[in-house]
Amino acid sequence: MRNKWTKVLMSAMSASLLLTGASSAAMAKAKAAPQPVVLKVLYMSQQGYSTAVLNKMGAEFHKEHPNVTIEFTYLPYPQLHSAILTSAAAPVAQYDVVLSDLIWTGEFAAKGYTVALNNYIRQYIKNPKGIPQSVWNGLSVGGKVMAMPFLANFQNFYYNKKMLAEAGFKSGPKTMAQWLHQMQVLKAKHIVQYPYEDSWLQAEGLVCDYVRTAGEFGNGNLFNAKGQPIMNQGAALKALEWMRMLYKDGLANPNSLAADEPTAANAFASGQAAFNTNWTFVTGIMNNKSESKIVGQGVVSGFPVAPGTNRATLSASISGFQGLAIAANTPASLKPWAWKWIQFATSPAVQAQHLHSEWPIWSSVATSPQEKHLNPWYKVYQQNLNAVYNRPAVSNYLTVSSIIQQYVHEAIGGTIPVKTAANDMVQQIESLPK
Amino acid sequence: MTSMPVESPPKRATLRHRLFRTLSGEYFWLYLLLLPSLLILVAVILIPMLFAFQMSLGNTSIVVLGGRGTISNQWVGLQNYLSLLQNPSFWQALRETLYFWVVSIFIEVTVGIGMAVLMNQSFFGRRIFRVIVFIPWAIPTVVNAMLWGMIFDGDNFGALNDLLLQWHVIQSPIVWLNPSALFPQIPWLSNALSYLGSNLAMNSIIVGDEWKTLPIVAILVLAGLQTIPHEYYEAARVEGASAWRQFRQITLPLIAPVLTVVLILRTMQLMRAFTLIFTLEQFGLPVLSIQAYQQAFSFGSFGMGSAVSFLIGLIALVIAYFYIKRLYREEL
Repeated sequence: MRNKWTKVLMSAMSASLLLTGASSAAMAKAKAAPQPVVLKVLYMSQQGYSTAVLNKMGAEFHKEHPNVTIEFTYLPYPQLHSAILTSAAAPVAQYDVVLSDLIWTGEFAAKGYTVALNNYIRQYIKNPKGIPQSVWNGLSVGGKVMAMPFLANFQNFYYNKKMLAEAGFKSGPKTMAQWLHQMQVLKAKHIVQYPYEDSWLQAEGLVCDYVRTAGEFGNGNLFNAKGQPIMNQGAALKALEWMRMLYKDGLANPNSLAADEPTAANAFASGQAAFNTNWTFVTGIMNNKSESKIVGQGVVSGFPVAPGTNRATLSASISGFQGLAIAANTPASLKPWAWKWIQFATSPAVQAQHLHSEWPIWSSVATSPQEKHLNPWYKVYQQNLNAVYNRPAVSNYLTVSSIIQQYVHEAIGGTIPVKTAANDMVQQIESLPK
Repeated sequence: MTSMPVESPPKRATLRHRLFRTLSGEYFWLYLLLLPSLLILVAVILIPMLFAFQMSLGNTSIVVLGGRGTISNQWVGLQNYLSLLQNPSFWQALRETLYFWVVSIFIEVTVGIGMAVLMNQSFFGRRIFRVIVFIPWAIPTVVNAMLWGMIFDGDNFGALNDLLLQWHVIQSPIVWLNPSALFPQIPWLSNALSYLGSNLAMNSIIVGDEWKTLPIVAILVLAGLQTIPHEYYEAARVEGASAWRQFRQITLPLIAPVLTVVLILRTMQLMRAFTLIFTLEQFGLPVLSIQAYQQAFSFGSFGMGSAVSFLIGLIALVIAYFYIKRLYREEL
């Protein structure tokens, strides 16, 4: 009997030891396994790095980090800023990683909506010089990098070589005078009713075109080194006079005043305009048979510039860089994962997989044989990327931009004289609270 | 003479008693059933409205402190309202909004009633006609905006331009969505119209908006028309009343209540019209609602944005008050 009880007791003890051991092992295993993480990412619905491309990137990241799921929210550009603002107002961010446009850099830094990424970049990005300095500059303010470069968007000069050949020109213009002459001849010979169409709708695109045109005249900076607006003098004033002249003389399509970038691109791709100054997405459209009537006729070129200006690059473009930023109210536990995702999405390896979609931010990828093969215009792209001017990096940029939009739009349309518009613009910007 | 001591119940008890009687009496179920709706209204309308009003009296901005986002509101009193009233762009936005409202309401009252009267007649295919007329109302506003964006495209291939060019009505395409002045060849008229908020883009947008909203106005007026007994018209015809007199003295007074509801509803909608204008023009046609959005969500000045919103509401309320006063003149 005693033996029997001893056996039972021993068996019970062994079983309990076994169970305890097993459960401790399970607990240790559970402790080691990473917690499931959901990272909420705000991105723009657009061409290039489209929703499909981003979803694919998200899936690839999930493969590398099975515990992390990326939840994308895609919004059109005009809604992005307000979404970031409302997310910043919440105690905990609605979006952990946001797509940040370079024009918001000053505001986000001043108001602390996103965090500076300098420490992460110093620690994890081995070769920051692999990204052109112009791109870093656009996304930094006062030495703080507010977003990791993701999209190296900028404008190219596009022309229709068939139309130019009909007008007797063998190549596109190199100077502003040549460009004007070509437009006048194209119009005079009735090759095209309006040689040029641009996106002068009263929106952000208009500021881009204004800055770029000022750049073509030698200085695309609308503020001087002291932070004072200088639209009523020098290159900025010449740019406004130029835009007004193109509109008044019927060289620019009147529809420009109501056109956004896709509308202007469609006009070029449908053969309604000989020239277009637009973002890089036009390269894809003009050679796509389903969207274009000018397949094989479009040429990507450096911008014409005023003689003696922009000597280093012989072009003058405008930046539309966008980066990935971490919201300041993202929980501390998620911030390392947010950076991991940013590092992944902006890495040369990932960007090299999507060369069809966008021009890469990394010079090593931009000059790779693969890119050269895919993009016959890669040298022009590099030229224009190096020639970008940035829009003013001021903390109240959107207010400044709305004033510029209003006066430039009215000056082009002739509602108010160019000089008055320029002076009023400067005066109104100067009167803004600092 | 001895006086009887009278113990009056304390006031608090009376109030409690009255409240108890009210809630437990014949209205008990009424209040109980209303409670969920009232709570929802308080939660989603009253509290946000009070919060927005508080913001309109402050210098409100979004700040992130210690990793937590919040809204900072520095009390400035009526300063936001005063700044707005001193700003010429606010007055221009107000004139544009009022122009949008006046022209739209005029079209709705005239064409809307006309359509309703037409749909009230007996003719072959009336039911199909009514369904077809109603289709634009079923189209989402953003889709409607994109649709009119293509129709009004200022290039040769814009639908309207293409049609007018083919019919030789115009020699070159018109940029319908450019807020350019009307009648530039007559400067005084052009300036006066621009001052009043009338420009090409504004009128084009009114067309697009009316295409969508006229059907609902017509259907509501039609519902009013169908409540008028035929005998009234028969009696009027016997008395020799003309069609115009029948309309003026029978139809119009009897559809007035429906019309007033429609006018109030549409005034509220027109005062805060946003989607169509923003989709087609972004900030190029800054009516008040666009200004409110721009102040709050572009410039981050939620106080100023709230102030503009409250002014929109105030203007709409004043207009609605006059509608109602005209309808129930004897009661107010």
